[in-house]
Amino acid sequence: MTRILAVVFALLSLPALAKDPLHLYNWNNYIAPETVKRFEEQCNCEVVQTYYSDNEELLAKLAAGAKGYDVLVPTGNAVQALIRGKQLRPLDAKALPNMKNVDPAYLDTPFDPGNKYSVPYAMSTTIIGYNDAKMKELGLPTDTWAVIFDPKYLAKVKGRVTVLDSPNELFAAALKYLGYSANDTDEKHWKEAADVIKRAKPYWAAFNASSYIKELTVGNIWLVHGYSNDIFQANLDAQAAGRKFQILQGMPKEGAVLAVDNMVLHKDAPRPDLGLKFINFMLDGKNSAELTNLIGSGNPNLDAAKYIKPELKAYPAIFPPKQVQAKLEQLHDLTPAQRRLRSRMWTEIKAR
Amino acid sequence: MTRRHSGRWGKWLVAGPPLVYLFVFFAIPALIMVVASFRTPGDFGGLAPLVGADGEIDLNLESYTRFFEDALYAQIFVKSFWYALATTLICLVLAYPLATLIANSERRRRDLLLLLVILPFWSNFLIRIYAWMIILGPNAALARTLNGVLGAFGQEPVSLLFSAFAVLVCLVYVHLPFMVLPLYANLEKHDQALLDAAQDLGANGWQRFWRITFPLSLPGVYAGSALVFIPAFGIFAIPDILGGPDDSLIGNVIKQQFLETRDWPFGSVLSIVLTASALAFAALAAWVGRRGVGRLAAGDA
Repeated sequence: MTRILAVVFALLSLPALAKDPLHLYNWNNYIAPETVKRFEEQCNCEVVQTYYSDNEELLAKLAAGAKGYDVLVPTGNAVQALIRGKQLRPLDAKALPNMKNVDPAYLDTPFDPGNKYSVPYAMSTTIIGYNDAKMKELGLPTDTWAVIFDPKYLAKVKGRVTVLDSPNELFAAALKYLGYSANDTDEKHWKEAADVIKRAKPYWAAFNASSYIKELTVGNIWLVHGYSNDIFQANLDAQAAGRKFQILQGMPKEGAVLAVDNMVLHKDAPRPDLGLKFINFMLDGKNSAELTNLIGSGNPNLDAAKYIKPELKAYPAIFPPKQVQAKLEQLHDLTPAQRRLRSRMWTEIKAR
Repeated sequence: MTRRHSGRWGKWLVAGPPLVYLFVFFAIPALIMVVASFRTPGDFGGLAPLVGADGEIDLNLESYTRFFEDALYAQIFVKSFWYALATTLICLVLAYPLATLIANSERRRRDLLLLLVILPFWSNFLIRIYAWMIILGPNAALARTLNGVLGAFGQEPVSLLFSAFAVLVCLVYVHLPFMVLPLYANLEKHDQALLDAAQDLGANGWQRFWRITFPLSLPGVYAGSALVFIPAFGIFAIPDILGGPDDSLIGNVIKQQFLETRDWPFGSVLSIVLTASALAFAALAAWVGRRGVGRLAAGDA
C-alpha cells in the first residue's frame, strides 16, 4: 500500500520536478531498471522510454515522420536503412571514450563502416529453442536446422513446432539449412528455400513471433525457431513456474542469423548531448553486463565479461563457441525489388 | 422564415464537428493512400521521391498491374471474404434468439442483459484474444475433453489452437455484440399487436415469425451484418495470434506490406481494394435493406 501511495505521489510530483528528459526509443525490456536509475542519477535527467517490437515498426514510424527521439536501438540492417534514409546524426567519437571496450569483431561492419553513426549495444541470435525432456524422449537432434525443416524429424513433433512469423528470418534459416548464405539473393536459391518451407509447413503449429515464449513455458510447444533472448526468457519462466523440463538453446551447426542492435542518435534528437552521454554510459562494462544478466543477450562489450553471471557462460547465444561464431551472419537489407519478390513468395507460402 | 434559417444553422452546428472529423481522419488519409498507391517504394522504406532527379513526376500503375496480374492476392481476398461471411452468418444465427430474448424480457432484466452483452468491451481486445489462447490450448479442459472423446472413437487428437477453427471462434466472439445490439434495437420496437392480430387470424408460431417478425427485423439484420462483416473482412490480429500456418488473411498481407516488405504502394493498393469492397458490401446491404423496408411499406411482405 505504501508503495502504491509512493508511486501515486511520484506521479503527481513529476511535473514539479521535470528534469531534462532523454527520449530512448528501445525494444521492450531491453535495459535493466537499475541501469536506468544509475544513469538518471548520474546525468540528473530522466529517461523516457518508448518501445517498438520490431525494426520494421521503428522504420515505418520514422519513415512516417515521427520525431522527438534521442537514442534508438535498431538492428544492423535497420541501421543501414536509417543511414541511407538520412535519419541519423553522426556520432562524436570524442564524446565516447568507452568505445575502447567494444569487441573490434563487431565494429566497422558493412552496415556502418567506421561506426560513424552506430555503436553496438547488445546482440541476439535466431536459433533453435527446445523442451529438453521432450527432445530427449523423442531422440531428436537439437544442433541442426534439419529438425525444423526435415519432415523425417518433424513427423515426431507434428503440431508442436512454431517458427518465426518473419519472412527474413525464416528464409535465412532455410537458406542456411541448404548450405547457402543467409544473405544469398539468388532467386533460384530462394525458390529452393521456399520449397523447403512449404514441405515443412504442414508439420508446424503456427508462424508465431509473440506467444511462443509462453507456449514453450507451459509445454504446449516443444520446438521453436526463435530469438535467443526469448528462449532464455522462456526458460526463466519455466523454472519460475517449477516445470519439470528446461527450455534450452540449440545452436545450429549450419550457422544462424546474428542480430547486433546498435545505439544511434536520431537526426532530430532534441538532446544529442544527453544521447551521447547515455551511449558512453552504456558502453561501460558493468552497465552493459546488467542487460545480459537480465535477458541473456549476447554482449559485444569486452569489459562486460567480468560482470556477467557465471551460470550464463554455458549459453551458446551469449558466448557463441568459436567454430559457430564464424557461421553467424548479420542480415543485410534487401532492395525494394528483392523485398517484393520475397513478399510474394511469403504470401504464397502462408496462403496455401 | 427566420426559424427555418436558424434551423439550418443548427443542423450544421450539430453535423459540422463529426463531418470535419470524418474529413480529417478518413477522407484525407484515404486520399493519401490513393496517391501512395501510384508511387514507387523507397529504397529503404517509405516512398521514393514524388519528383525524380530528372524532374519527372513519378506516378505509375505498377502496383495495380501487380495486383491484377497475380491471382494469388485475389485468392486471399476470396478466402477472407468466406471467413467474414461465415462470421456474419454465425453471428446472425447466435444473435437473433439472444436479441429476441432481451427485447422480450421485462425492463429491469433487459438493462442487465444488455450490460452483459457489452461487458466484454471493458477489457482490451487483444487481451480477450489472448484469453482464447488459454481456452483453446492443448492442455485446457476443452481440448482435453474433445480429444478424450475422439480417442475413445479411435480418432487422431486434434489441435484447437492455431487453426481455422480458432480464428472463426474468436471472430464470432469479438463481433457478436455488434450483431446483437442493432438487432435488439430493432426487435424492441416491434408492435406486439401485429403478432396478436396474426394469431387471431390463425397464423402459427413459425408463420408469425417468418411473415411478420423477421421481415420487420430486416433493417436490424442488415445493419448488424454490415457492422460484423466489414471489420471481420480486414482483420489481422486474430489470424496472427490464433491462426495456424494456413490462416493468413488479407489484413495480414496488408500489414506485411507496410512492415516487413516496406512496400507502401502495394499495401495501399490492397487497402484500397479492401476499402472499396467493404464499401460495396455496405452499399449492397443498405440497398437491399431499403428495398426490404420499401416492400414492407407497400404491404408486399
